[in-house]
Amino acid sequence: MAKIIHYRDKCIGCNICYELQPEYWRLSRKDGKATLIGGKLKRDNYVLPIPDHDIVKSQEVAEHCPVKVIKVFL
Amino acid sequence: MKKPELLAPVGSFESLHAAIRAGADAIYFGVEQLNMRTKSVPTITIDDLEEIANVCKSHNIKAFLTLNTVMYDHDMQLGRKIVRKCKEVGIDAIIASDFAVFEMCRSEDMPLHISTQANVSNIESVSFFSSMADVIVLARELTVKQVAHITSEIKRRNLRGKSGELMKIETFVHGALCMAVSGKCYMSLHEKNASANRGACVQNCRRPYKVTDLETGNEMVIDNEYIMSPKDLCTIHIMDELIRADIDVFKIEGRSKSAEYVYTTTKCYREAIDAVIDGTYSEEKVDGWMDELSKVYNRGFWEGYYLGRKLGEWSSIPGSIAKEKKVFIARCTKYYPKIKIAEFLIETGQITPKDSLLVLGRNTGSDSITLETLVVNGHPNDVATKGDKITFPFELPLKEGDKLYKLIENHG
Repeated sequence: MAKIIHYRDKCIGCNICYELQPEYWRLSRKDGKATLIGGKLKRDNYVLPIPDHDIVKSQEVAEHCPVKVIKVFL
Repeated sequence: MKKPELLAPVGSFESLHAAIRAGADAIYFGVEQLNMRTKSVPTITIDDLEEIANVCKSHNIKAFLTLNTVMYDHDMQLGRKIVRKCKEVGIDAIIASDFAVFEMCRSEDMPLHISTQANVSNIESVSFFSSMADVIVLARELTVKQVAHITSEIKRRNLRGKSGELMKIETFVHGALCMAVSGKCYMSLHEKNASANRGACVQNCRRPYKVTDLETGNEMVIDNEYIMSPKDLCTIHIMDELIRADIDVFKIEGRSKSAEYVYTTTKCYREAIDAVIDGTYSEEKVDGWMDELSKVYNRGFWEGYYLGRKLGEWSSIPGSIAKEKKVFIARCTKYYPKIKIAEFLIETGQITPKDSLLVLGRNTGSDSITLETLVVNGHPNDVATKGDKITFPFELPLKEGDKLYKLIENHG
């Protein structure tokens, strides 16, 4: 199953992931960074399995992330 | 003649100590992602604030925190947390341009400096900010006469800041300039969705461009391909004039620059300010400082807008012209983040052990390295040539396509 990985430490809270895919992303009011909704913490990064029909949109989000801390693995 | 304070840039603990050693009166730095250099330098965190404040206090210099990015609603809690922590650990002031941060400083009773990002260019704006701030970092596009008018008006009007002291004026004296007015640039955001105003500038203005006629495909000739990349600001040769303009604080740009850069620039300007004050400022000394300054990262120098020159001093290469010439050798093919090893494919030329190398990384900027041992295609070797893959330890995460250069002496 495809998955999104969020290397959250380096997130700059630019907002674009939430803008493009609000079903997967929100902005934390606590520290101003993006949060992958439902993501599980694995070795300092957040991982979330996604269904195939969300792959293209998620790849677009990864492409738009200015600091490239979002990756989609197939 | 008033002796201005010298304010040095800090992007790391190494730079902090370099600035102190070189004689800075104060330093400035950013934390977390609310930092205009967040992409280009390893981030200083809130947890580092206390140590930085303590180091500065023990060396009797001031520490200012820049909190001057564009601020969104989701940044408010972090912003407040940073301001409170600054107050708690004794950071001397916060440099800001967003009204939300002004309000945070007011509610926490934290001294405020108005960032150059606010683009203050006249005495009335200084007057406006005097109810909430003590220092104004002026827009970088003013001439020395315009600056002198503002400082004299502050005295004539007895314009006092929030602390009750006369308002202070701070200006940039050295470092990178950009096309945009006082740093408000959206080019990187347009092209790469990477906002310079959130510290994620990809420096696309520093690359060469050509103009193509879309109908015919003909390329138009431009004198300088680097048409959006100004040379760096350098004012060491007009230090006396700037000091006569009664400026309170001289600021050096370069939070993303190396510790050696911070040391050299701070030391030169320290000596220049002292020389003007004690009457020993001379052309010979200026020549010596220029020589030192040109050894560290620079895109060539001009004195900015201070003498009324139009922006026409373009850089001639994407990176530094610092006494050494760089020759393209290889491109990054892989980076192993866990073991911090970079792999490069040699595309042209050759390298040998102990060559001075320069890595220009999209996310890492510029780094000089020397390889004691050359690992070629997995084995130590004396030379690497076209088609070979070399690997070496590299602290910062490189990206595919980042470039490796060999540094050779620049004979012009």
